[in-house]
Amino acid sequence: MLMPPFTLHHPSNVEQACEIAKQLLEDGQQFDWVAGGTDLIPNYKWHINTKPHVISLAKIEGTNVISATEIGCMARLSDLTIANGAHPLIAEAASKVASSLIRKNATMGGNLCLDTRCFWYNQGEDWRRSIDWCHKADCGSGADCRVIPNQNTLCVATYQGDLAPNLMVLEAVVHIVGPSGQRQVSIGDFYQLDGKKKNVLEAGEFLLKVTLPKQSQQRIGCYQKLRVRDSWDFPEAGVAASWIAGDEKSLLIASTALESIPKMHDEQVSEALAAGWNGADSVKSLSVAIQKSINPVNNTTLTPRYRKKMVRVLAKRAIEGFLQ
Amino acid sequence: MVGTEHVDMLPAGAKEIWSAKVNGENVEVLATSNATLLDVLRDKVGTLGVKRGCDLGTCGCCTVMVDGQPKLSCLTFAGQVSQCEIITVEGLADGAHLAPIQNCFAKYGGSQCGFCTPGFLISAQSLLNTNTSPTDEEVKTAIEGNLCRCTGYQQIVESIQAAAAIHRGEVEAEKPASSPHPDPHPSGPEEPQMPPGHAR
Amino acid sequence: MSGGYKQQPGGGGNITRKDGKRVAGKQSFPPPGSGGSRPQMAKRDLQFIPETVGGREKQPAGAHVHDRIRTGTTVGKSMKLVDSNAKVTGQAWYGDDVRLPNECIAKILRSPHHYAKVISIDTSKVEALPGVLAVATGQDSLNSFGVLPVTKDEHAMAVDKVRHVGDLVACVAAVDEATALHALSLFEVEYEELEPVFDPKKGLEDADEPIHWRGKYHLGKTNVQKRVFQEFGDRSLIDKPSASNHNKWTMKGVHHGFTEPHAVVAHWDPNGRLQLYTPSQVPHYTHRALSTVLSVPMHQINVIRTFVGGGFGGKSDPFPHEMCAALLSRKCGRPVRITFDREEVYMINRGRHPSHIEVKMSADKEARITGFDIDALIDGGGFASFGHVTSYYNGVLATAPYELGSFHYTGARVWTNKPASGAMRGHGAVNTRCAVEVGLDQMAEDLSVDPIDLRLANLLPPHSRTISGFRITSNGMREALERVREGSDWDNKFRQLPLGKGIGIGCGFFISGSGLPIHWDPNKFPHATVHIQVDMDGGVTVHSGAAEIGQGSTTAIAQVVAEVLALPIEMIHVRSHESDTSPVDLGSYSSRVTFMNANAAIRAAIEIRDKLLNAAWEMIGYHPDLLVLNDRRIYYKHDPSIGVSYLKALHKAQEDKGALISSGAYRSPPMGGIHKGAAAGLAPAYSFSAYVAETDVDIETGKIKCTNVWAAHDCGRALNPLAVKGQIIGSCHMGLGQVISEEMVYGRTGHLQNANLLEYKIPSVHEMPNVVPIIVESCDPEGPFGAKEAGEGPLLPILPAVVNSVYDAIGIRINDLPLTPDTVYFAIEKKMKAQSVDDPLELESPRLTHSAMQQVVVERAAQHKVRDIARQRSDDTSAYVNGVLFGFDPNIPLEDQVEGWRSATEPLPEQLAELGFAGKAWLKKEQRELEGDN
Repeated sequence: MLMPPFTLHHPSNVEQACEIAKQLLEDGQQFDWVAGGTDLIPNYKWHINTKPHVISLAKIEGTNVISATEIGCMARLSDLTIANGAHPLIAEAASKVASSLIRKNATMGGNLCLDTRCFWYNQGEDWRRSIDWCHKADCGSGADCRVIPNQNTLCVATYQGDLAPNLMVLEAVVHIVGPSGQRQVSIGDFYQLDGKKKNVLEAGEFLLKVTLPKQSQQRIGCYQKLRVRDSWDFPEAGVAASWIAGDEKSLLIASTALESIPKMHDEQVSEALAAGWNGADSVKSLSVAIQKSINPVNNTTLTPRYRKKMVRVLAKRAIEGFLQ
Repeated sequence: MVGTEHVDMLPAGAKEIWSAKVNGENVEVLATSNATLLDVLRDKVGTLGVKRGCDLGTCGCCTVMVDGQPKLSCLTFAGQVSQCEIITVEGLADGAHLAPIQNCFAKYGGSQCGFCTPGFLISAQSLLNTNTSPTDEEVKTAIEGNLCRCTGYQQIVESIQAAAAIHRGEVEAEKPASSPHPDPHPSGPEEPQMPPGHAR
Repeated sequence: MSGGYKQQPGGGGNITRKDGKRVAGKQSFPPPGSGGSRPQMAKRDLQFIPETVGGREKQPAGAHVHDRIRTGTTVGKSMKLVDSNAKVTGQAWYGDDVRLPNECIAKILRSPHHYAKVISIDTSKVEALPGVLAVATGQDSLNSFGVLPVTKDEHAMAVDKVRHVGDLVACVAAVDEATALHALSLFEVEYEELEPVFDPKKGLEDADEPIHWRGKYHLGKTNVQKRVFQEFGDRSLIDKPSASNHNKWTMKGVHHGFTEPHAVVAHWDPNGRLQLYTPSQVPHYTHRALSTVLSVPMHQINVIRTFVGGGFGGKSDPFPHEMCAALLSRKCGRPVRITFDREEVYMINRGRHPSHIEVKMSADKEARITGFDIDALIDGGGFASFGHVTSYYNGVLATAPYELGSFHYTGARVWTNKPASGAMRGHGAVNTRCAVEVGLDQMAEDLSVDPIDLRLANLLPPHSRTISGFRITSNGMREALERVREGSDWDNKFRQLPLGKGIGIGCGFFISGSGLPIHWDPNKFPHATVHIQVDMDGGVTVHSGAAEIGQGSTTAIAQVVAEVLALPIEMIHVRSHESDTSPVDLGSYSSRVTFMNANAAIRAAIEIRDKLLNAAWEMIGYHPDLLVLNDRRIYYKHDPSIGVSYLKALHKAQEDKGALISSGAYRSPPMGGIHKGAAAGLAPAYSFSAYVAETDVDIETGKIKCTNVWAAHDCGRALNPLAVKGQIIGSCHMGLGQVISEEMVYGRTGHLQNANLLEYKIPSVHEMPNVVPIIVESCDPEGPFGAKEAGEGPLLPILPAVVNSVYDAIGIRINDLPLTPDTVYFAIEKKMKAQSVDDPLELESPRLTHSAMQQVVVERAAQHKVRDIARQRSDDTSAYVNGVLFGFDPNIPLEDQVEGWRSATEPLPEQLAELGFAGKAWLKKEQRELEGDN
């Protein structure tokens, strides 16, 4: 599965990386960033949207930091799973990603910036040619979306990262860097609804690190992941929840693998709180509300109808995970 | 940013020198930017023990040790691990003397068709390098990225636990382990003993 | 013997360096027979020598014809596979590891259409690309091939039509992979798309353009490739049943999922001979097909089997890409290598057929099984492959292990525009077996009896005949059931576990080697041949065509030869890679290798043994009957000091002719009925198995987790218990995949949506239950040292055992495989609605109160146990045919005993209206009959 030709750049610090990106932008060259490569390389082997240049973050100094308040983009998921100072919820979520071997390469940054997935898209070139391509990788054909035909505006590919909802319920902040400098956004604002655009990263920018507020250390949380096998598989649905023990007002819930972006469920939580919190019953109604708020489509392994049903169970289990 | 073009395979990219220490030997080969570590090891270095099963990180047959860590060589750009120390299945034995993990895979049925075996051996050896008393769960986690279609994994877990016992010094390494040729006069093969602590 | 033997490496064990270390490659290897590093000859291992010949090995199943040649050397001992060192060092060479000098890389252009006519292929731009060495299209070989001589419907590349997405259109060889891939984009192919068929039910109807055309034998204008009808027994027995059920099953297609993708290297050598390296289970089929496709005599082709990275049936067909590589190599004069990516592996498929199966069964007031009615409509995909056989196996392999009042089967295999289905581990038997075993569970429930007791009271005994005429010899079914019942503590668990936890039983029955060697008459050429050569050095070279695919066939052959000659297994060298040196052999399919090849090897080894004994007779003066072979020595039975070393005897035997050569063959005894299709499912022996599975069901998510399996398999005699256990556990893994997660998903557009190992969900180590393998040894009278197969049969019971355990856990029967979480969840939801329950945790799991019938079956089972032991030990040698349980006399033809006894292979006109899906194929007429109508 030979990849199309490209040039791999190996900057050794952030400035160099930005410089290479700036230069390529000025030259009108397209490029991708690569961290661990576990997401990009399969896509490239399938000849999906490959670029003539790839900039590797692997050799950039200081990007593999792991602490309770900061995780660098190159922090390997395998390093996050062991007691390395990261929040236990992050360790739990990281340990559920793919397989132990994938986790040796996969990184925090790569997981947050995971390309969205769809079974009409994650296929070899011959295969995609046989369906006359799709909206997300149309090979110049202007092809329609294969999941929801006759809509040519939005890509509905699913975001199937595990870390994002967990960082969301820990109120993480994403640090972005690019040729025009650094900026920060809350992780809830990092994602942008469209399977093609995926997030707010602009051309030339990459995700440098996430930071977590100090009070996140008081939070306890739980992550529930639905998958067919306990190895390799992306989440078919995932719900993360956290709170500061005993304080229901601090409750935060986020879901993943259900739509094109991971989602915070603040609205449903506030409704549940407004109705008066009374433990188990509130958990039940809150779980139902969260289920109602999401709309999966048919582009992953399990049926959307089932995934939607499971959101309620996962939400319930995630909250109960720390209520008890 | 999303590209929507078909990219031609030719002209191929420029070749650059790629160097690393493979199985204790410094190697230098020419490779293009788009080469994975697996491509380089199989097609340039010649360590054909590293297998290409799925090429997408879902079978583990291509696992090699990079600076002591097991890595999927099919999902690693060669360029990202240049100058690293790489150990493939060919580098596990001490000269002609098989490593305990190799002997145990043979003796306890950890290898049937053998295609996934190199990957399993590397994953297992990486585990044993840092943990000689793994629980069955730890062993399973270490090999969860390796796919085996023949054995049903059970005899693989037993093989790894048996090797762990040798690493701990509880069980003496088998005699053939110190002989490059199998003893022509074996004392008589016996029913393999289950490794200690491995209830079944 | 001092000074050693000159031909030995190292010359005698005294080569050391000055520093005392051994010299690499010159290890001490003293002459065989001298005592070697053990000064004393090893004692005879009496634990592994049968009681009948003076040893201490127990023989509950009685004596065996091979007992007299047992030496206690290897048989019955767990030993590592003889090629395992190559595998653990990375030196085993698989398809893609063959790298010949000056090789080039080829890629295949594949169809983007489901079904289309190929109007034209313009290769001019491809040929103009620098670096392209050869191009081939379907026009380069118009000869068709196929694995079965009766259904040769494949070509190297599409000649007129492409029949599924991924079907081969053209191929190109180039200096490197990038150039070959680039070249693919330069082909200009014009297609005319045709209306594709995906649903096998539609395939039964007439089409404008059937996928293949069989001329005068074509059924109407349908896409039916093969139809089968079989009916045996007394159909009146199924009237007024005390219990009956009728279930319709949908089983998805599954793939072998071997880890090694297909790869081939073809080299047309300077002498004009083709050297083809391929990881094939059946190199002989490839050999024949190559000869046909290339129009080259077989003796000008050498098929070299590389190590095979898993086969499971998926590497037993001759493949079009092998033809492509050969065609390209002939054109460019260089070695050509083709390696598939995983998507291509799924496009060539040959996995288990997607199936629609209906099973009706009934029992009478004595809980006897009065009838199995089976209808199997199987989806063959674009080509015939093994489908002719599969069409039979789906029915006929359900005729045992139970005694049936009647049996009725209709089967049809339909071509569709999908990658071709073929043979996969448990070929044809797996899906029907699951449906039958689950039906029995349901019937036991309806009769309020224990399902194990129901089975025990309805088993065919050893040395009997099935309703369709299969000859059962050894039969360890009863022992298998008893041992899993005991091992799993069944009686304290079944129908007694809390909601969400369940236990279930399933049985299996499989052939141990197909009785019909597809390409020839078994009466005119043996099934298997093995040659042995022993030269001066004492090493034993065994030439066999048995294909080692990881199951341990090479080890099994080495073991039996070592056993007969009483030599360390390291002295046995099995050569089985090349067709130039191997005797013709059908390779590794239909679980034939242990039974047929080991038998042939034993015969060849006995010939060598006789020569050695005769030489020893000449040297020490004792008749061979008084001589003992043991550990490189031959000696007088009553005084071991009077003897001669193996090597001395060998050299004596070699005096006249040099190297000792022998040839042994195996041919099956004449057997089976005379009806059409009687040979399908016929085998010289059958394996039996019974599994109990314990499963947890997550009631809220529908996710099931099989936790424990007790797996008893009757392999006759475990030549190598370690390998047999490996086969049992591995079968559990593969079968479990089909139950819980594996399926080839064809979406709404007919495309295979999961042609990769991420979305095709083979269980990981975490999904594996703890398997307790239990070896049952019924000692088959014709098996090598009593052995039967252990490679495929063990897969069958795991499916029904898990499905039945799910019922025990949640009281729901689901007749769709796989039982993915969503399938199970929605079944639970449906039951909740039906019972008006809000919380799934309030559902009730099934409970059992025995009816009076329980006593009936328990008593009958006890009587049958006595009967079976007597028959197994040949204390009772009376005839037994299926039907005795229903009061028939086994010594009089059954059709003479009851009016209306059926033995038919075509339906009666009045039956046509009531046949199942597959049976509808019988509503169509063949073209030759239609022509007659006109």
